[in-house]
Amino acid sequence: MPIDVRPLSSLRGGDEPSFGGKSSALGELLAAGIRVPAGFALPCEASEHFIAEAGLEPKISAALQRARGGELAEVTAAAHQIAGAMRAVELPQAVRAAVAEHYRRLAEDAGDAAPAVAVRSSAIGEDSAEAAFAGQQETYLWVRGADAVCDALRDCWISLYSAEAISYRAHLGGERRAAMGVAVQLMVDAHVAGVMFTCNPVTGDPSMIAINASWGLGPAIVGGEVTPDDLLVSKVTGEVVRETVSQKLIEYVPDSVAGAMERREVPPERAGAPCLDGPARAALLELARAAERHFGSHQDIEFAIARTGAPPENVFVVQSRPVTGVAPRVGGVGAAASALGLVMQKFGAGGA
Amino acid sequence: MASTVPALSAFPSPYSIETPAGCEGWEEMYPYYAVFDEHRRDTDEQRFWFWNSMHFPTPHPAFDVICIDSPYQAVGSWQNRVFAVPPAMGIDYRIVNGYVYISSNPVTDPDKIAERAGYFQRRAGHYYQNWPELYGKWRTKMEALIAELEALRIPDLPEYEDEEVALEDGRNTAFYEVLDAYGRLLRLGDLMWQHHFEFLLLGYGAYATFAELCKTHLPDIPDQHIAQMVAGIDVLLFRPDAELRRLAARAIELGVDDAFVEGRTPAEIEAELGAGDAGRAWLADLEATKQPWFNMATGDGLTHDFHSWLDDPSIPFASITGHIAAQRTGARSVRPTEEIERERDRLAEAYGALLPEEVRGPWRDLLALSKTVFPYVEEHKFYCDYWFLTRWWNRVREFGALMARHGFLEDGEDIFQMTRHEVATALDELLLTWATGGRPLGPQHWPPIVARRKQLLERLAHWTPPPAIGVAPAEITDPMTIMLWGVTTERVQEWARQHDGGAELRGAAASPGTIEGIARVVRGVNEIADIREGEILVCGSTSPAWAPIFSKIKGTVTDVGGVMSHAAIVCREYGLPAVVGTGRATTLIHTGQRIRVDGTAGVVAILEP
Repeated sequence: MPIDVRPLSSLRGGDEPSFGGKSSALGELLAAGIRVPAGFALPCEASEHFIAEAGLEPKISAALQRARGGELAEVTAAAHQIAGAMRAVELPQAVRAAVAEHYRRLAEDAGDAAPAVAVRSSAIGEDSAEAAFAGQQETYLWVRGADAVCDALRDCWISLYSAEAISYRAHLGGERRAAMGVAVQLMVDAHVAGVMFTCNPVTGDPSMIAINASWGLGPAIVGGEVTPDDLLVSKVTGEVVRETVSQKLIEYVPDSVAGAMERREVPPERAGAPCLDGPARAALLELARAAERHFGSHQDIEFAIARTGAPPENVFVVQSRPVTGVAPRVGGVGAAASALGLVMQKFGAGGA
Repeated sequence: MASTVPALSAFPSPYSIETPAGCEGWEEMYPYYAVFDEHRRDTDEQRFWFWNSMHFPTPHPAFDVICIDSPYQAVGSWQNRVFAVPPAMGIDYRIVNGYVYISSNPVTDPDKIAERAGYFQRRAGHYYQNWPELYGKWRTKMEALIAELEALRIPDLPEYEDEEVALEDGRNTAFYEVLDAYGRLLRLGDLMWQHHFEFLLLGYGAYATFAELCKTHLPDIPDQHIAQMVAGIDVLLFRPDAELRRLAARAIELGVDDAFVEGRTPAEIEAELGAGDAGRAWLADLEATKQPWFNMATGDGLTHDFHSWLDDPSIPFASITGHIAAQRTGARSVRPTEEIERERDRLAEAYGALLPEEVRGPWRDLLALSKTVFPYVEEHKFYCDYWFLTRWWNRVREFGALMARHGFLEDGEDIFQMTRHEVATALDELLLTWATGGRPLGPQHWPPIVARRKQLLERLAHWTPPPAIGVAPAEITDPMTIMLWGVTTERVQEWARQHDGGAELRGAAASPGTIEGIARVVRGVNEIADIREGEILVCGSTSPAWAPIFSKIKGTVTDVGGVMSHAAIVCREYGLPAVVGTGRATTLIHTGQRIRVDGTAGVVAILEP
């Protein structure tokens, strides 16, 4: 069967059931004119197609059957067995051909025979937030060449049957579809990477952008390996309202020889230096405003600033999802409150 | 006074503060009720007192106590007896080693608070609902008061009374006229203070309510953005400096700007200008500008040291000279008013759009109310603190001159070393002996007292008052303490920490940006000539009279004040980083030290020992 692989730029919110939340959100960002690294997406059915074509269903069912008791050792053993089985077979020809073709186009556009890409899982359904907890949102960075992309793709699919994922689906109960989309994106050789919220997630202040940033590629921050620089920037004026510069002791950089990432120490003189300059802050602020405006809700955005070029052109959004867990601001004024009533309250002279 | 009881809190007990050597007996300058007395020890020692360095930065002269009594009588009357602000009565003061400490009287009984709420709603509501009309009447009242002050006749004491006194009906003799004038002068001062506080509390209250609503829904909003949304700079208080800038531009336009050379006296400049037609045109413009705009004071303190620009033209002339230099190079020019107004409206619109739907209506109404009341909050200073008060001190000086002419004082200026009641007593004797032709004792009695007090004030000036004394409360709740002095719970905790030492000071983030530079500690407006280009100003507080220096400095740190203080407003206007209300910057920082001012975070770091 043909596999419906698509450029990220062609996806929209409505494609979420087929391509997963991450891929469709990236498509939306591109549609909104926000700088997102180019890439393509595989639909959920590709993972199911792989399992069906390789005849893995009986093995998987049997392994899951043995893990039904929920004992950790049994679940782990089942995950191990399934991973082994999935790794032992070739990906379907249709998948490999489609990946090769889209990777070639990406390479052509990037002007690089084997550009580094990020391979990210793109979970479906309302559970995508919990899916992160369940380990279903694997990301493989700095992947080069179509064959390596296919390996990473397989690893994403294998993560559908990680011990955590199996337990999680068992916890939810019923028949759960074990499927996920995958996004393949050009990798930004990030000088600085980080995360930002389009509100202050601590106080809920909607007039602020909260930014965490550190040297190198994203994992240092996302994985919690460094204490990042912490900034609060006014959406209204662009002023930095609060800034804490931390000692950012390690960073991830691409290792061109091994074709992967290298974790290394940051020299002391750079570790304590602020990693975002004025133009970078301004570019991030613009990206945050655009993303919030486009989605109509507060966004949790991963960004990367390329080693080459200058802001705003070298500042990219690599992921954006709705902010969860921020309490809405409450109190201060009742629906019927008047200005005068509030002044009276201030002087301790009763309600409105 | 010099007891050895240990401090009860982070701050010293008022009863443990020692009198500096050679200053024994300083209490004689002040009323019996103005000191920490053993009879009130059980309550006074448990209260929180902070040094009001904003209004009383130097040891207080005896006569000037009237500018403590009268304002606190007035503010207490309005707050406690007229509007009956439910949780707060008035402000008490005590003097320690010549410095004025204040403390508010809270209302704690819930029934009493409820009772007062009824009065407050009715009376304050009337003011808010009729603000523009009432404020219009207020201006008329103030202008009439100033006119009466100017018209007050203080007769000399003649050898023989005028012919009319003898030959016409209804004439008074000089003894009565002098006593009447003195009494009337004191009453005019009281009346000014009454007017001063009529609107102030309500004005600040509306603003504080708006600020609080902003912070409820936008918890991280910088204070200066709230201030910016309310205050343009089109208020009266900025007119004098704006007029100086206009006069600077006019001098350039007329081609007479070369006359303005740094270091020249106003008389020298005027002499050069008077020699040509263009210069004379400029001088005519200057004359037309003087009334009322040169009724600015040279400082913000409530003591007689502060003169008006009319009395001391060196300050406006230095300012014009500075503005000319700035306008020639085009550097450091102040943003045009329209641009500031556009930015104000843009901020309001952007923040308004971020608020929850149901809050927007009340929020916009409160912003409108704050903008309505704000001109008063700013303008009362020009009418009362500057225009009236500088004229008023000069009328007091006339009584000093009268006493000096009759040998009661060596110099007319010495009248400020006597209490207002002592002046009344001395006038009684002077008029008695003038009338009887008898021999007065005053010339022997007063000069030694004056000399002693001058020496006391000089010695007390070397003492460093702690920012606070007594027991700090868990929380500062008094609205006036917070609104007028910027003394918040955080600020008091910071003072307590600094009491233990440290190379960093915290205050209110008043104007954003960070700057490093050399500190210039300025204790009074008379020292502002020392400031060099590019230094960071460290002072108690500033007033519009300090305008000339803002085109020279790189940043500002003050001991006292909130984000609505003069220094904060002007620094935002000039784009200079500022931290205000640090408590003791002038004590901890020395001229010549390198410091860093972070006006965004409200932190001042001392970088060199």
